[in-house]
Amino acid sequence: MPRLLRRILFNLFAWGVVLLVAFPLFWMIITSVKPQSELFRIPPTVWPETVTFEHYWRLIDETPFLVYMRNSLVLSFSTTFLVVVVATLGAHSLVRFRYPGRERIAQLVLFTYLLPSVVLILPLYLLMVWIGVANTIFSLVIAYTTFALPYALWLLRSFMQGIPDDLESAALVDGATRMEAFVDVILPQALPGIISTTIFTFILSWNEYLYALVLVNTDLARPLTTGVMTMLLGAFNIEWSLLMAAAVMMCVPLIILFAFLQSYLTRGFGAGGVKG
Amino acid sequence: MGGIVFSRVRKAFGSFVAVKDLDLEIGAGEFVSLLGPSGCGKTTTLRMLAGLEFPTAGTIAIGGRVVNDVAPGKRNVAMVFQSYALYPHMTVGENIAYPLRKQGVARAEREARVRAVAETLQLGALLDRRPKQLSGGQQQRVALGRALVREPAAFLLDEPLSNLDAKLRAHMRAELIELHRRVGKTFVYVTHDQLEAMTMSDRIAVMHEGVLQQFAPPRVIYDQPANLTVAGFIGSPAMNVMDAELVAAAGGAVAANGLLRAPLAAPGGGAGGARTIRLGVRPEDVLLGAGPLSGRIRVVEPTGHETIVAFEAAGASFVARAAADFSGAPGETVPFDLRSARLHVFDGATGGRLELSGAGPISAA
Ligand SMILES: Nc1ncnc2c1ncn2[C@@H]1O[C@H](COP(=O)(O)OP(=O)(O)OP(=O)(O)O)[C@@H](O)[C@H]1O
Ligand SMILES: [Mg+2]
Repeated sequence: MPRLLRRILFNLFAWGVVLLVAFPLFWMIITSVKPQSELFRIPPTVWPETVTFEHYWRLIDETPFLVYMRNSLVLSFSTTFLVVVVATLGAHSLVRFRYPGRERIAQLVLFTYLLPSVVLILPLYLLMVWIGVANTIFSLVIAYTTFALPYALWLLRSFMQGIPDDLESAALVDGATRMEAFVDVILPQALPGIISTTIFTFILSWNEYLYALVLVNTDLARPLTTGVMTMLLGAFNIEWSLLMAAAVMMCVPLIILFAFLQSYLTRGFGAGGVKG
Repeated sequence: MGGIVFSRVRKAFGSFVAVKDLDLEIGAGEFVSLLGPSGCGKTTTLRMLAGLEFPTAGTIAIGGRVVNDVAPGKRNVAMVFQSYALYPHMTVGENIAYPLRKQGVARAEREARVRAVAETLQLGALLDRRPKQLSGGQQQRVALGRALVREPAAFLLDEPLSNLDAKLRAHMRAELIELHRRVGKTFVYVTHDQLEAMTMSDRIAVMHEGVLQQFAPPRVIYDQPANLTVAGFIGSPAMNVMDAELVAAAGGAVAANGLLRAPLAAPGGGAGGARTIRLGVRPEDVLLGAGPLSGRIRVVEPTGHETIVAFEAAGASFVARAAADFSGAPGETVPFDLRSARLHVFDGATGGRLELSGAGPISAA
């Protein structure tokens, strides 16, 4: 009997947490399709009386939303690509090659990750101005890489430590070059780690706000996070429906990415070629 | 083709020396075992031969060509790893085909050769499986197949049977001997199992703590171990060893201790001066039931086709192989003798073999 009770309580608790997390999302979607007039009605309507997509049209028609979206996509894809490529090769090197200071480098990488990113903003900004890339998407790519790369390196390093040395050795003896062994054997084994890193980095750069605010102040390079804020700060009263429509559209690329990569994650590229 | 020569090869990991000044000459087509206890440097030696470790000093030649600077894939050797190291994301067929793919062998020929190898190893039905869907024995055969398909100059095998159960191991031992006979290539076989080394090899290289102790055919390793280390490692149960003093006597020398006096002679005459020695005798050369010596039985272990008897004599422990119908019981006193012609004499200080052999019956001290 107490077991049943415990299960019921546990389920209630779990569903409570789910509701807590899901309700704002639900409200966001609902709000984005309500007409402005219905927004502040008391008591509020849970299901909108009239469903309208006018906010979405206005976002696309009257605001630079699509430019921000393009910037965000370019920014996030470039950052993710750069970080994942460098981190994969770097982690492989940290795990497989013996060279002096290898452990020190790994520790140093962790240390930079522990550094609060705020303290780096000003130096980075000055650096960007100095090398003449201030106010560009490229400057944000570099900035995001500085804090995404250390974490990605650590994540992938622990993944790659789990891949048996013998696999690469076997490929080398079988006639592969180092690069071929890496591509043929290590990469497929590290794929789940690489995908986790991809998702992590993408979300990080998609949602980043602080650096985007400081490093970029032109609509041409502004990503969604700061872009949407600027859009709304310019208005006298905050247009909540517009904001919610923007928020919904910001989620779409993330959902697509997840749906696409999740299937890879769960497809089961487990180890098992090595016994003993 | 296929001969292998190590010349003063040394491998250090930091300050730890894993392989010390190894000189080893393996003939083409020979089956050589590297035998030794765990951590003695067998795998390191094999990995240097494969090009996976770089020797700290010395040279390695394969087929007359020094390969120190040759990449692993260009040495024309195939290796079977202790862990098998099958590529988990490839099917059995793709695993076996991988070396051919790297050699740029055309698809049609590749498939034919993979099928032929799969046929010999009875893997035909498993070609589409993934390694983790195979049993240990099947994985081992795939690893072997991946080596065989290349037709390399030499096969390097690192304890390929150690993950198999006893029955399968005995079966695969026979298969490997047969395989070696058929392909006629050089085999370098790492093992810590003396039975494997003794049954399969043309010659055995016994290693201990990074040092090559003896390199000789199995019979010689067993009958004339080069030192106490080899003598103690080869043979099960292990050789009985006791301290003794060597004293000069008419016509040679006599080994004496609290238990016995054994006349010894050097083949060339002249047994050298008096000194401390170690006297060894294998369990099968201890004859229980009659003789000038006597001991007290401690343990009797019947194994079915023989009985292992542990006993004590003059404070020393002995192990003897007796007939299956041996009737003594613990606590009893038993007379015994040693086959004097099969005594092994080692230097008391260095442990090296002394060229002395028994020259007459043994008597009690
Ligand atoms: N990469 C390495 N770095 C440091 N020490 C190493 C390295 N590889 C091997 N060693 C050391 O060298 C010694 C010999 O190792 P090796 O693997 O050759 O032993 P082995 O004879 O194959 O033993 P086993 O029967 O257990 O496989 C061991 O003491 C081991 O700890
Ligand atoms: Mg080993």
